[in-house]
Amino acid sequence: MTAPQTPEAPQPGADPQGAPAPAAGDRQVPQYVYGVTVADAAPPAQATGLDGNPVSLVAHGPVAAVVSDLPQGRPLGERADLLAHQGVLEALISEGTAVLPFRFGAALTSADAVRQELLEPNGERLAEVLRALDGKVELRLKGTYVQENVLREVMADDPEIASLNERLRSIPADAADAAYYDRVRLGELIARALEQRRDQDGQALLESLAPLAEHVVARTPMREEDVVDASFLVDHERREEFEQAVEKHAADRAERVRLRLIGPLPPYDFVPET
Amino acid sequence: MTGPIAQQTSGSNYVQRGGSGGGLADVVDLILEKGLVIDLYARVALVGIEILTIDVRIVVASVDTYLRFAEAVNRLDLANNGASQGLPQFLGGAQESGAKKKTRGALEGAQERLKETFGSSDEDEDEDEGKEKQPSRRSRSKKEDDE
Repeated sequence: MTAPQTPEAPQPGADPQGAPAPAAGDRQVPQYVYGVTVADAAPPAQATGLDGNPVSLVAHGPVAAVVSDLPQGRPLGERADLLAHQGVLEALISEGTAVLPFRFGAALTSADAVRQELLEPNGERLAEVLRALDGKVELRLKGTYVQENVLREVMADDPEIASLNERLRSIPADAADAAYYDRVRLGELIARALEQRRDQDGQALLESLAPLAEHVVARTPMREEDVVDASFLVDHERREEFEQAVEKHAADRAERVRLRLIGPLPPYDFVPET
Repeated sequence: MTGPIAQQTSGSNYVQRGGSGGGLADVVDLILEKGLVIDLYARVALVGIEILTIDVRIVVASVDTYLRFAEAVNRLDLANNGASQGLPQFLGGAQESGAKKKTRGALEGAQERLKETFGSSDEDEDEDEGKEKQPSRRSRSKKEDDE
C-alpha cells in the first residue's frame, strides 16, 4: 500500500502543481482537516467545505487528509461550520468512500504541515484503522418514550406517584404555587421511575441488536424520557438485516417507544480515542 | 458501496430516519466530542468551540424537568381531548437552542403565570409585592439545585 500517487486526474492538493484556482503560493494557507481517507479516494463531489471552500485531498503514502482552506479572521464554531464539517464527511460516506472523521476543529498551518506532521508520522496507523472500518457504517439509534402512555404506566405502577398526583390535582389552580415543592417532588419521582424503566427497556433493545453489529457504543441518554442512545458499527452486508430488526422493534413497541435511526454516519464512535 | 442515505427498508412506518444532511441535533455531540483529534503543536487554537460544547452538554435543568413531568401527569386525562403540547416537543426545541435559553424561557413562563394569577388586580399593592418575591426566590433555589 505505498503507491503514493494515482495516475488518473491529479487530485487538487494531492499534487501542489495542480492546486485549485486562487493564487500560487497558496500552500501556506492554514488547512482545516475533516478526516482521513485512502490515498486513491476522490474528494467529495457533492459537498463544499467551510465557507464554501473547495475540498481537496492531501495524500501521503497509503492515506490522504480531506482538507479545505481554513477561514481566516474569525473563530470557528458557528452552526454553518458544523454543518460543513458534517456535510463533507457525509458526502464521502454516501459516495462509498471510507473515512476516519476528525473531531470538529482540527487545523494545521499548511498543506505541507498536513503531510509532514499528520500523515508522515501517523500514516501507517491511520491506514490500519481505515482498513478495519472499511465497508462498515455507523448507525445511531435513539429511542424516546411515548410520554402519555408511559406516564400512565408509571402512575399505575407506583402508588406514591398516583396519590401525590391525586392530591395536587385537588389543589385549586390559584393556589398551585403553594404546592411548588410538592410538584417538584412529584416530577422527581416520575423522573426516577422513568429512569428505572429506561434501564430495562434500553438494555433489552441493545442486547437484541448487538449481535447484528460489529461494535456498539451506548450512551446515557440526555433526557429522562429517552430510552436509548447507542451507536452501532454495522457491516454493509448486514445493514439491511439490522435496519429490519430495528423496524421490528419499533413496530413491537410502537405504543411505548418511538425509535429513530440516524445515519449512515462517519464512524465517529469507532475511531481510536487518541 | 454504501447505498443512498435516504434509502428505507420496505414499509418503514415505525422507525423515523434522520441524519442525511439534515438536522445537526442528531449528530452535534458526535462532531464535537468524537472523532480523531490532532494533538500536535501545530494545531490552530479555535476559539468558540468550548462554548458550543458546554451548551450541548448541559442536561436539561432538573427542577425544570420535574415541574414539567408534574404538569404532564396533571394533564394526562385532559390530554385525550386533543391538542395539548407534549413534553417531547417542548424539550426537542430546547435541545438545540441550549439550556440557557430554555431556563430563561421557563422563568419568563413563571412570571407570566404569576401575572395571570395576580396581575389584574391593582388594588392590593402589598400583596402583589409579596407575591413578586416568589419568582426570584424560586429562581435562586433553582440555581442551587442545578449546581
